[in-house]
Amino acid sequence: MSTNQDTAHRPGLTPPGARGIHAVPTIPILSLEGLRKTYRDPMTLRPFTAVDGVTLELERGEIFGLLGPNGAGKTTTIKLLLGLARPTAGRVLLDGREPHDPASRSRLGYLPENPCFYDHLTPLEYLDLTGALFGIPSVIRRRRAVDLLERLGLSGHARKALRKFSKGMTQRVGLAQALMNEPRLLVLDEPMSGLDPVGRSEVKALLREQRAAGATILMSSHVLAETEPICNRVGIMKLGRLVEVGAVSALLQSGVREWEVAVERLSDTIVTLLLAAGHDVERVGSRSVIRVRDGEALQGVLGQLVQGGVHVHSVEPRRETLEEHFVRVLDGRAGAGGGRS
Amino acid sequence: MRGVVAIAQNTVREVIRQRVVLVLALFGVGLVAASQVLSPLALGEGRKVVTDFGLAGSSLLATLLVVVLGSSLLHKELERRTIYAVMAKPIRRGEFLLGKFCGLWITAAALVAGMFAIVLGVVTVAYGETPWIVAGAMTLTVLELGVITAIVVFYSSFTTPALTAFFTAATVVAGNFADDLLYFGTQGASLWLARVTEGVYWILPHLTVFNARGSVVHGIAVAPERLAFAAAYGLLYLLALLIVAGAIFERREFR
Repeated sequence: MSTNQDTAHRPGLTPPGARGIHAVPTIPILSLEGLRKTYRDPMTLRPFTAVDGVTLELERGEIFGLLGPNGAGKTTTIKLLLGLARPTAGRVLLDGREPHDPASRSRLGYLPENPCFYDHLTPLEYLDLTGALFGIPSVIRRRRAVDLLERLGLSGHARKALRKFSKGMTQRVGLAQALMNEPRLLVLDEPMSGLDPVGRSEVKALLREQRAAGATILMSSHVLAETEPICNRVGIMKLGRLVEVGAVSALLQSGVREWEVAVERLSDTIVTLLLAAGHDVERVGSRSVIRVRDGEALQGVLGQLVQGGVHVHSVEPRRETLEEHFVRVLDGRAGAGGGRS
Repeated sequence: MRGVVAIAQNTVREVIRQRVVLVLALFGVGLVAASQVLSPLALGEGRKVVTDFGLAGSSLLATLLVVVLGSSLLHKELERRTIYAVMAKPIRRGEFLLGKFCGLWITAAALVAGMFAIVLGVVTVAYGETPWIVAGAMTLTVLELGVITAIVVFYSSFTTPALTAFFTAATVVAGNFADDLLYFGTQGASLWLARVTEGVYWILPHLTVFNARGSVVHGIAVAPERLAFAAAYGLLYLLALLIVAGAIFERREFR
């Protein structure tokens, strides 16, 4: 499993194997500046702000996770950057170009949330259509389509109508069409949605592969356990605002949250003493896990255990997970990052 | 342009896979049956009746096809969100709309050509004479369908399928009576009413320009100058509609 540390890189550096990105190293692949989108209820005409002052820059070659609960504004942000909706205020630049310029999308791959494709087509036909829209010559797009279907485990279904596809299979077709033009920027809206654990693992491997090939990836998700291991940076959205942005490792509290001490044969007397000192004790059979929140108190607890003749099995530090951090941010218990990258 | 071609091809494929060929087959069977029923009743005018019936029927069927399929063509894309993945490609919204228009028009034209071929075949087999003269009427019908397809695309760029179908049907009916509307306006009491009807007259598509079915049935061929005028008028009209539709669609938000 790769860590955030081993995939991180400094801005401005060109990742190895980059897809021709060396020509414009200083222009961000994606830049959102004070992006705001307000809709009006058609009946009441009451305004509703879906995206509120989002500012963000994506570094080339990174995987950026846009996180947030349903209705946080992730999909609207993606629509704004693709030109599917117009911002009420602010600016989007894709590789230095505005989204209404079709050329801005020539090296962009997009997977919509809960994708739906022309169900009268087969995956092969759909990928051919996608390739044609990108202006890829027919021989190349045919070969690429076959390769992608093979890569995504759909080669056995290449000539089956898309209307007969399950959600997971449709998701795979969505990924295949997003990769048809060998994109420099991949925008994936909930890419893990509808996939089984094997599928999710394959997609994660695919995303790492794309990053290694030089692609920058923006993915929205609320499956945080899937996001944490592959993202370099994440941004947390809440009520249309980007409340926190940063490297995963930096966002998560660097210090240890608590220590887990696994022991054998813990006597009732010691349990009483530990509970009285404010530690948690969980007993399963002859084994117990003691949770010590304070690093300084750990020494005292260990001494007490040794004195009492308790066999200490292991002592492990426990750090905050992205999911715990996410919940904390949404509850308003974490310091807001001001919405800037 | 490559985007327009790709979208048009996909639209043709979509319509064909909606079993439109079945309509053609049913039309053929219906025409053969009608020719057998009508001929004895036509007092020696069976050939004219069958030709007239065939031309009118094929034009009506193709118009219905354009209205029914066209009115939901864009809405379906938006509702099912298939358009999201397409518009994330390097293609302008106007190109997408033009591709949809071309695909639908090509399909309707192919359908009309198929039905006219059936008319020719049935008349040839039943009366031993091929009425090639209907080719002029067919060309005009294809041009008329282009205008009707543009009307459907125009309305569908900003309204719902039901309203698109209603507005298109109303425009087609009014377009067939544009001259009468102008006449009634001049017979009215006020100058204001005359001005309004004249304005509506110029806005409405003059669909009678494309109707030569009655004359070809009576053996009068479509003159080349009429064809040229109809082609110029039809293409200008549909182009103007598509430009306005494109401008509307360009501003549309995908929610």
